[in-house]
Amino acid sequence: MIEARELTKRYGDKTAVDRLTFTVRPGLVTGFLGPNGAGKSTTMRMILGLDAPSSGTVTVNKRRYDRLAAPLREVGSLLDAKSVHGGRSVRQHLLGLARSNAIPRSQVDAVLDRVGLSEVANQRAKGLSLGMGQRLGIAAALLGDPEVLILDEPVNGLDTEGIRWIRALLKSLAVQGRTVFLSSHLMSEMELTADRLIVIGRGRLLADTDMREFIETHSQGTTLVRTADSEAERMRQLLERAGGTVRLDARGGWRVAGIPPATIGELAREHHVAVHELTPLFSSLEEIYTTMTRTSVEYRGSTQDTKELIP
Amino acid sequence: MSTLTAPPPGFREALAFEWTKFASLRSTRWTTAAVGLVTMAGAVFVGLSGSLQADDTVLGGSLTLSVVSLMISGVVGALTICGEYASGTVTSTFAAVPRRGRVLATKAVLLAGLLFGLSLASCTVAYLLGSAILEDGRYARGEPMPAVLGIAGLFAVVGVLGLAIGVLVRHSAGAVTTVIAVMLLPSLFGPLFGGAQRWIAGATPTAALEKLTQTSDASPDAVGSLGAWPSLALVAAYTVVLLALAVRRLRRRDA
Repeated sequence: MIEARELTKRYGDKTAVDRLTFTVRPGLVTGFLGPNGAGKSTTMRMILGLDAPSSGTVTVNKRRYDRLAAPLREVGSLLDAKSVHGGRSVRQHLLGLARSNAIPRSQVDAVLDRVGLSEVANQRAKGLSLGMGQRLGIAAALLGDPEVLILDEPVNGLDTEGIRWIRALLKSLAVQGRTVFLSSHLMSEMELTADRLIVIGRGRLLADTDMREFIETHSQGTTLVRTADSEAERMRQLLERAGGTVRLDARGGWRVAGIPPATIGELAREHHVAVHELTPLFSSLEEIYTTMTRTSVEYRGSTQDTKELIP
Repeated sequence: MSTLTAPPPGFREALAFEWTKFASLRSTRWTTAAVGLVTMAGAVFVGLSGSLQADDTVLGGSLTLSVVSLMISGVVGALTICGEYASGTVTSTFAAVPRRGRVLATKAVLLAGLLFGLSLASCTVAYLLGSAILEDGRYARGEPMPAVLGIAGLFAVVGVLGLAIGVLVRHSAGAVTTVIAVMLLPSLFGPLFGGAQRWIAGATPTAALEKLTQTSDASPDAVGSLGAWPSLALVAAYTVVLLALAVRRLRRRDA
């Protein structure tokens, strides 16, 4: 469990993290979402005691990180910044970390095997690909078999297979009752992995909610209605007369806004139109998120940021 | 929930961590080896070339290049922390050992122990090489004991001094430059300060080394009248002060 209370970080007169209060619970994958520069990494660094909060507190299992007796056995972390010396071998890097927290040597080979790096164990970290480097970071996070995992942009640099692997891994860790907290600006990825969502923009909390609930609440609420081609035009007229806004959907059928799905069904029965499909459409997390953070994207206008926001 | 139930780690584990990091890098291994090799090579060179002043001692002559080794020791000290900043490993180090005072203490203990042992061995070998090669009876022998223990102690102190400077300066190039400046500049520019020269040049690690090795360069005119051991104590004293400042900085600064 991770608990932040009024967590704040100021750099001069710039507030990077602004009175954040949230709780990350065990047994779930919690996504930490925000545009680049929103304060995700700074928040994670404060959880790990690397940066000191300007005010407020953050604890892991009710304790400040620097008060944990054996931090790597309680919290596994992967930060965005590479924290491996290129000249050191993969195994030596993990071995040092294991020794620092009295973690048995056998764990080193176990995690190397688990992330699929056994074959490059004796290679220097310099020669690893971006994806392998990321796997090494995940190996380091798993080394102490920790209850809490904090991962900053873990899918960065992973290929499709790697992304699928980490998604399954994170879910399995959460199912075992661990606390899994991962940040990402890839909303599509979050939608598939996370159970809960903490959204921040400009250092402020925008949402702290269940993933499904979040999508339902923020959804525009349109419905896809499909009928036989011969009845399509009649259906459109009925829907418009009932006060709906009707557009042609790219996949065929009508996209209806302004009338709930139940009413559409009843309308069709009343007029004896055979409905082939009636699907409530929720906005994707990506659409919602883009709308939500539009105001809080700090460096809007720069093409690079736009690109990162909409992957 | 962690299935690992070993007792909580302490200083020993942190020290083992530092040792693993130190020993697993080619760069630190070679730089450290250079500390020993340069001193011994110097003894052979001086012995074979006979390039000793008439009033020099066998001990001082054999350890001519120990001043270079001493500088490298300071550089090794600086690099043990600056290397971590440069590669970004400092974040994983602090995540593993969040007590930063302990991180610095283990680095200091490791450097001091390693440099003490290494320089004690290499200086002893250098002296034996020097006495074997140099013509018997032509130079005063000098008194190797307990001077060589002091010399080894000085190497340990300078390693820690480099570490403290590394923490305070943070960037490798800046830290290495500072370490070398501390060692060299006072003797180079000392004469500019007239009467104060003895104090300025005399307070450097280099001056303490010259006095301990009993070389003819260690004249009171150049490096002051402070004896060898008090000089060593002085260097140790300001190293302790700098180390305390470094601990403070490390605790307060964001990693």
